[in-house]
Amino acid sequence: MPAVVRQGIVPALGPNLRRARPIILPIATTAAALLLWQLAAVQLHIPTVLLPTPIEVAREMWRAFPILMDQTWPTALDTLLAFAAAAVLGIGLAIVITYSPLMRDTLYPNLVFFQLVPKVALAPLFVIWLGFGSPARVAFATFISFFPVVISGAVGFAGTDQAVLRLCRSLTASEWRSFLLVRFPFALPAIFSGLKVAMTMAVVGVIIGEFISSQAGLGHYIMNAGSRLETADVFAALGALSVLGIVLYGAVALAEFGVRRVYGRR
Amino acid sequence: MALLDTVSGADESIPNGRILRLVLLPVGFAAATIALWQITCQMLSVPPVLLPPPFAVWTVLRDNFAILFDETLPTLSESILSFAIASVLGVAIAVALTFSAWIREALYPGIVVFQLIPKIALAPLFIVWLGVGETTSVVVAVFIAFFPIVVSTATGLVSAKPEVLRLCESLTASEWQAFRMVRFPYALPYIFAGMKVGVTMAMIGVVVGEFITAQRGLGYVIMFAAGASETATVLAAIVLLCIIGLGLYGIVGIAELLVLRWFGGEAPISGVI
Repeated sequence: MPAVVRQGIVPALGPNLRRARPIILPIATTAAALLLWQLAAVQLHIPTVLLPTPIEVAREMWRAFPILMDQTWPTALDTLLAFAAAAVLGIGLAIVITYSPLMRDTLYPNLVFFQLVPKVALAPLFVIWLGFGSPARVAFATFISFFPVVISGAVGFAGTDQAVLRLCRSLTASEWRSFLLVRFPFALPAIFSGLKVAMTMAVVGVIIGEFISSQAGLGHYIMNAGSRLETADVFAALGALSVLGIVLYGAVALAEFGVRRVYGRR
Repeated sequence: MALLDTVSGADESIPNGRILRLVLLPVGFAAATIALWQITCQMLSVPPVLLPPPFAVWTVLRDNFAILFDETLPTLSESILSFAIASVLGVAIAVALTFSAWIREALYPGIVVFQLIPKIALAPLFIVWLGVGETTSVVVAVFIAFFPIVVSTATGLVSAKPEVLRLCESLTASEWQAFRMVRFPYALPYIFAGMKVGVTMAMIGVVVGEFITAQRGLGYVIMFAAGASETATVLAAIVLLCIIGLGLYGIVGIAELLVLRWFGGEAPISGVI
């Protein structure tokens, strides 16, 4: 997607400035937005309950930093567990679907069905089944992040170049070797695009779980602060949550970079 | 997310027996699962609070259809409204991004960052701003459905072939003409890919909004019934939500087919997000 940013006609500026523009402009925009927010909140006397100023939010973040860290851990841990489970289950099922036409024809339409329906509606059921603890949230987050991994994994494995597979067969490579050396590397971009969606979905799943059933975690903190109308607290927790989301997504992107480098760039 | 269309049966010519297999196998599997569920519930006498048998869910659906239908309407109208707003806003902003390099470079990274953070977490903030009610659900849904549509549309609008755009220039087509006749039709498959993600996101937003704020709607029914341990009612409401979800997705899919045929364009693409 960053390709979008790069294309387009850039008007004549100094060459250095022009190169720096895609970095400077977004930062400047963010700074301007924060400044405008601060000025508007102060000048228009917007009550803190409705919209705290960025400075108040920053102060709150600083003050509540240890608490926020404490709340971030359960959320991060649940998310990572759910993501790992979804990744293993998803890729495993994608492999099964790839090698068995019967399984593919049987399961794939049902997987697509689940991909289309609003699975979040099942969150309260997980609470009924697994109680108010972390297992319910991990199971629910796994459930909603699992489908993108299976589907994009299956798409990736199916998209392998048939000519290369035929070559493997004529070189009498075993099924396992041609999987390891051909299918898997070919499917990597698709698998990782599924994993990236899964990571964001895992965070969403854990947060929704924490909204409706939790004694800890950032989602719980946000709900709690929201109901006490401590909006600056909500913003501070949202900041922590955004950092968590970006870090986790970045970890997947980094893993993709590393794995694809191992397999040689494509 | 919208990687749906590509996998199964990539064969070009599908014989009749194969069609039968492609329909019967998944339907049979679903039916077998439901049958197994019913039998397990009866044989092991699973408490209905934990897992009511499918027949009990059906009974709830049949007996309380009027009430459930009343709660379905707000959810449906909120989903459609928020999806419509998100689509219009998303496409409009993507167009603005394409026309101005300044706007694009200023805003696009921010939009991508928003794509990555769990936006659903902002729902309680919208309650503080807008109160408890339908408006909050709609705004939450617009907010989360909007981003995939912008990103996908923006990707599509810059994906027009440069040769064709150069041809437009040499034929002295105005910027607007080039947009209307080249860029936009080229972007349509991407726009629809974004809208397909957007429509499922809008449903998620409405349901989560109803979980935490509403006094009406299927999300509210689910929370309320779960609180009362009426699991069969929860499942009945989920069935209705699934029907709405599939229906709305289907409408977007049909619209895509019609519009793409109108423009004589390419087959639907899959997978932008």
